[in-house]
Amino acid sequence: MKETRLKILQYITGIGLFFFIGAHLFASYLSSGEPTSWESVSERAASSGWLTLYLFLLIFGLYHGLHGLRTIILELSIPNSAVKVLDWALLAIGVAIFGYAAYIVINAF
Amino acid sequence: MQELTFRVQRYNPGENKEPYLQEFTIPSSQGMTVLDGLIYIKENVDNTLSFRSSCRMGICGSCGMLINNFPMLACHSPVEELKTDRIEVRSLPNFPVIRDLVPSLDPLFAKHKSIKPYIIGPDMKEVEAPTSEYSQSREELEAYVQFAYCVKCGLCMAACPSVATDSLFLGPQPLGQAYRYCADRRDIGAKERFHVADSPHGIWLCHLAGACSEACPKGVDPALAIQLLKRAMVSDSLRLRKKKKPASLAQPPATSKPKIDVPEFTVTQ
Amino acid sequence: MAGKPASEENRHLPNSLGIRGWVWAGRYTLERYLFTLHRLTGLGLLAYITLHLIANGTRLGGEDAWTNTMEFLSNPGFRVGEYLVVAAFIFHALNGGRLILQHLGFTLGKPKPPVYPYVDSMRRRRPITLAMLAVMAALLLYVLIEIVT
Repeated sequence: MKETRLKILQYITGIGLFFFIGAHLFASYLSSGEPTSWESVSERAASSGWLTLYLFLLIFGLYHGLHGLRTIILELSIPNSAVKVLDWALLAIGVAIFGYAAYIVINAF
Repeated sequence: MQELTFRVQRYNPGENKEPYLQEFTIPSSQGMTVLDGLIYIKENVDNTLSFRSSCRMGICGSCGMLINNFPMLACHSPVEELKTDRIEVRSLPNFPVIRDLVPSLDPLFAKHKSIKPYIIGPDMKEVEAPTSEYSQSREELEAYVQFAYCVKCGLCMAACPSVATDSLFLGPQPLGQAYRYCADRRDIGAKERFHVADSPHGIWLCHLAGACSEACPKGVDPALAIQLLKRAMVSDSLRLRKKKKPASLAQPPATSKPKIDVPEFTVTQ
Repeated sequence: MAGKPASEENRHLPNSLGIRGWVWAGRYTLERYLFTLHRLTGLGLLAYITLHLIANGTRLGGEDAWTNTMEFLSNPGFRVGEYLVVAAFIFHALNGGRLILQHLGFTLGKPKPPVYPYVDSMRRRRPITLAMLAVMAALLLYVLIEIVT
């Protein structure tokens, strides 16, 4: 039941993102101070709590977004023989974006 | 007498590259349905107009059409309820057109067949040559009977936004019917149907737009059946699905002496 | 379909609505349009994440590069864009929550033998969808006030 397991992960990442993005938005836009100043950004980047949150955000966000995109692409009548190619392509894109973004947050830590 | 303007899709594969709309003005009458209007046109104005219909009472599911931008059974659509005297009738979307208003329902039937729409019992010999009835409680019957009212008219498939782009997507009718059999206590074939529904073009391309249930003329609610099937598949995938005992055979009625003597009708020679 | 000659298949006019069917919805009601909006906001958020990561990448260039990027992004156009992203997130999250519950068969009720006039489960449980939209409207207003003040 591969497709069902992928969808269960979609639900789990969706619920996780609700909380992670909520925290991220609250810290970035709704808290007092200047959240996008170099000082604030550096302060958050040096915190292991924020580092963990950002990495989870990345993994959950990329899975949720790319799985959603996969569903939309599948709906364009992609033949079953091409589904594997689509899966590998999306996985490669996900890994590449994760590598780039993880490098940014870890580098700033 | 009030007049109605019917704008009807015409398409003859031998003559036309694209379908076009032809306008007919016909008299209206009380209680008139869209199907009555089409029959009037065929009998009195243009006998080359093609459409499919049979029972004219919402039972056979033959006359599915796109009526004023909504998939409906033409026989089940009183003109009065459309609240306009301009009626546009097109062939059901998401199905190939054979001619004028006649869609080919072959894709629906092929997909319906793929989900094994029959009882897969623990003893197939008993299913094929029954020796007795299965016992079934009212609750067990109500778990699936709503979905058993499907007349395979194809309106749900015409309404579904996922079928609109994905001709490979199973669609609401087959998926709803897959649940109808999975929910039946006489059936033990759920796993086989889960396998079919779990394909990349299977159940997870349903995003609960609810259009199928809105269009269903028989109150079958395929959207509900599909969500219940999803629930069963998720439970099964997480190994949380409770195994239900299949329905048992009912005891044959006890033989008893009739209260009054039944006369013997056998003719002896 | 099987067993028919190809020429006969080709005589049929393919009649799919295509991508138009995702957006154009005929005479349907609420949930059908929420589907369209969910898809649009999902694609929008995915596009935003890509831009967000590119903008954050300027941090590697040091304080000056970061400050310049933030100054560039502080113009009113980007502020409106940011609000739209937050609005898309709020809608996608709340509607997604509703969808997860309903995909798993919760809040839809049990099957009922159909009795005319038919009311499907989605319309029967429409108050849940309306409550979700009311919470969404309140959150959008709150965020708008927070951003403006």
